[in-house]
Order: sequence, then structure tokens, then C-alpha cells
Amino acid sequence: MSLAPAHVAGVGMVRFGKYPADVMLEAMALGAAREALADAGADLAAVDGLYVGHVFGGPVAGQRIAAQLGLDGRPVSNHENYCASGATAIREAWVALAAGLHDVALVIGVEKMTDRVAGGVRPDPGDLDAAVGYVMAAGHAMSARRYLADHGATREQIAAVAVKNHAHSVHNPWAQYRKPISLEQVLGARPIAEPLGLLDCSPISDGAAAVVLCTPAGLRRLGLGSTGPRVLGVGLVSGTVQTGLGDLNAEDVSRRAGEEAWRLSGVGPDDIDLVEMHDCFTIAEIVRMEGLGLVPHGRGAAWAAEGVTALGGRLPVNPSGGLLSRGHPVGATGAAQVCELTWQLRGTAGGRQVDGARAALAYCKGGTVNGTDGGSVTTVVMTA
Amino acid sequence: MPSAESPPATRGRPFREGLLALDPPRLLGSRCAGCGATAFPARAFCPACRTGVVEPAELSTSGRVHSFTVVRQAPPGTEVPYTLAWVDLPADEVRLMAQVVGVAPEAVELDMPVDLELTTFGTADDGTELVGFRFRATVAVAA
Repeated sequence: MSLAPAHVAGVGMVRFGKYPADVMLEAMALGAAREALADAGADLAAVDGLYVGHVFGGPVAGQRIAAQLGLDGRPVSNHENYCASGATAIREAWVALAAGLHDVALVIGVEKMTDRVAGGVRPDPGDLDAAVGYVMAAGHAMSARRYLADHGATREQIAAVAVKNHAHSVHNPWAQYRKPISLEQVLGARPIAEPLGLLDCSPISDGAAAVVLCTPAGLRRLGLGSTGPRVLGVGLVSGTVQTGLGDLNAEDVSRRAGEEAWRLSGVGPDDIDLVEMHDCFTIAEIVRMEGLGLVPHGRGAAWAAEGVTALGGRLPVNPSGGLLSRGHPVGATGAAQVCELTWQLRGTAGGRQVDGARAALAYCKGGTVNGTDGGSVTTVVMTA
Repeated sequence: MPSAESPPATRGRPFREGLLALDPPRLLGSRCAGCGATAFPARAFCPACRTGVVEPAELSTSGRVHSFTVVRQAPPGTEVPYTLAWVDLPADEVRLMAQVVGVAPEAVELDMPVDLELTTFGTADDGTELVGFRFRATVAVAA
């Protein structure tokens, strides 16, 4: 282990969903922050620094939040790595704690999307892919079509990811959608980017999630005797410029993110009891699990259909319901994954509890860059 | 072919400097003098070997569809449907993303041959047409 772990003293969320336009980003962030601080039994006075992940929140959103929460004057930083923004904020807080800069850090992931994003998300207009008409759903659709052709997988197997994750979400009070869906519903949904339909896509959502991270001294400051779950490490990699005509679903960026996770945490892939995986689209869960090496190459769709990655299966993926069901307020997702890992590792996840969970991984992938295999990928490793 | 299809570009300037040549129509990449790897768009370094000196390279105009999707929903201001593809240029071993025209969405197939075509990507502030690129099905397919 290269850096000291961070102790998770408290977590909290506001339920993800579509909020009215007059519910401000700051209000959602405050809601999540107060839940996390209460969970930690922490007063504002105990907090040394604030780390905020968001994409569409505008300039100094973190400082706007701090001024309403009562953390004005503290060091506040804003972290943007598209859909990995919340997890990147957690990584920066972990590094600051390990460096001895702080003993108690508050991390907030927050996004208000429904009043400012329509029709899906796409790259920055300056990126060449945006100029040729790229939208995120299109990239995953092309991934899916190639996966079907290369691995003899079926459309039904890919759709099984949505059925599985929505079945999990029934037990998650923080999820935007909490109803089971059928395979027929996924296959019959309105096409978005063929072969993917509406229910293969995570929704555009509002929401916030927060985490209180501590050093051992920070735990003592908060009067916490029991240490509880720890963040052992947070990997961060970016995509590399691709050449040649290789496997479109090679997911080398996921492989490298996994290697970072194991290197930083000292935990190995065989130790992982559950995964919160960035299922922005059904096919994404499949190819990213394969890229990490947690599922054999070309078997991810079959594993989803066979229940291997369902609650009760050998390797549960997205017991929370994932982005498909919990919702995907992009900057909040990484923090929400760490909330879920914390509840799972405490054994307090209720009807979606993974029995005996001792080690868990959360993966986020944020953004695309023309010519590369991705923008940013984060991998959070936690143990009970 | 799709009725929303814009006409091929005949004059104007590349919508990004150094991205393409107008006459004859060519995409402009870079090729490593050391390992031979070709990149598009052109880069100042070789993404394959990281050590070689790179030189400008005109790319082949013949491609094939490696994967594709028909985009049915896009943010406001983007007309749908359209066919977006990963197009392989086998002669250069380059894969790039582009729209494919000249074939109905339901008739697009993997490995379908396509050819480079320049098209308008909008108009500059000074009124000059901005020229971009797409690919057209090599063999006419009933739309």
C-alpha cells in the first residue's frame, strides 16, 4: 500500500430523481452533506476541507455550497472529470488525508441536470467526435453491435443487465426508479441508438451524495471508536490514443484502472465481493467488468443473463440498481457508489445486502476524447 | 438516400485546419517514420511507439464499416435519424468515427465498403463554407 487508507466516518444522499427547477444544486448538496455529517456524528467545526465533484454546476459551485452550509473560509475545491467527477473528488480528499493536510474531509458529488441537459450528453463541442455527431449513447451502441458480432452474444443477454439492475433497485430507497422491469420491456423500448433502446440507457437525473473521510486522528476528533469501512485506494487513469484496427471492446483503459486499484489497495481481484459498476448503458457494465478482468472476456453478457452478477450470484454487480435505476446525476454518481459500498460493508443495505461483503470495488468512467479509449476512469477499493 | 442528407461540399475551407485537403478530397493524418503507425487526426507524437518522428500523411479514401448505430435521439438542434459508424481504413490501419450516407439506416451492414466524401459542417462567421467529412456507401443501396 502506497498511501494510508481513509476511514469512512459517514455517508448520506438525497434520493436521485427529477427535481423541480427551483430546487437548487446547493440545496441538494446541503441535503446530502447534512445526512453524511449526521451519520458521522460530526459538527461542521470538525471539517477541515470540502471537495466537490460536479460537471454542470458552474464556476465555484463548491464555494457556493460551502457558503450556505457553513464551511465558508475552508479550503474548497471543485473537481470535474465528467461522470467520474464525484469519485475524483474522493480521490483528492483521500490523497490530502494521507498527506497529512487534513484529518476530516467532506466530499460532495452533486448535479442538477434535468433543467439544463436534454436529449442525452455528448462531448465538449471542441472535440472532433462532437463535430461528426457523436452522442454517448451512439458510442455504446457501436460497442454493443460489435460485441454481439464478436462474441456470439444475444441482444437479450445485454438487456438482462437492465432487468437485473432494476430488480436490485426495488430495495434501494435512494434510487430514482424502484420498479422491476421485464426483458420484453427492455427489448420493446423506444430505440435511442440502435441496438440500444431507452431502457438500456441511464436517465438524466438530479441528485447529491456525500462522504465524510477521516484519518485515525480525525476519527478521534469525531469521537468514533469503531473504525468501520475504509477507502484503501482510488485509482485514476485516462484513456490512451488508439492506433490500429484492434478489438473495439478491448477496454484497455479499464484494465489499467483495475491494475491501479489493486496496486494502490493491496487487494486483488479475487478478493472482491461486490462491484458498483458504471452502467451508464447496459453494454458498458458488460465490457467494463471484462476489462477489469473480473469477468472473462466475451462472457459478461452471458453472466448477466445467467444471474452470476445478480444479488445471490457469485459476483453481484450493482446491488444498488446501478446508474440505470438509481439515476445518473453525473457528478454525484461516484460519491453515491461509495455510499452504497459503505452500507454494503457495514451490513446495513437491507434487502439488497450482499451477504458477508468484506471488500468491494466502485468504478466510474467519465467522458470521451476523440481518438482515445476514454476520458477518465476511477476505481475505488474499500474494505469493511 | 436519406432526405435530410446535405449536399457534398464543393468549395470553402476545412472546418479544422490541417484535418483534410479539399482537392483531391483527403483526410490528413500523421505517420511514424519509425514504426509506421498512422494516426488521424494528425498528432505531434507517435501514439504507438512514442519515440518515432512523425510525418504528414494523406489517408486512403476507401473504408469499411467496423461498427455502426442509427442515432434516433440526440440533443436539440441535431436532426435524427443518422447513421454513425466506426470506419476502418485498411490501407492505413486507421479507425475513425464518421457518419455514413447513401444507404438507408436499416440496410447498413458490418464490413460494408464506404468511400470518403467531403460535406458541409456549417458556415464560418465570414460566410465561408466549413468543410467536414463523412463516408458514402460504395455500392448504391436502395434507400
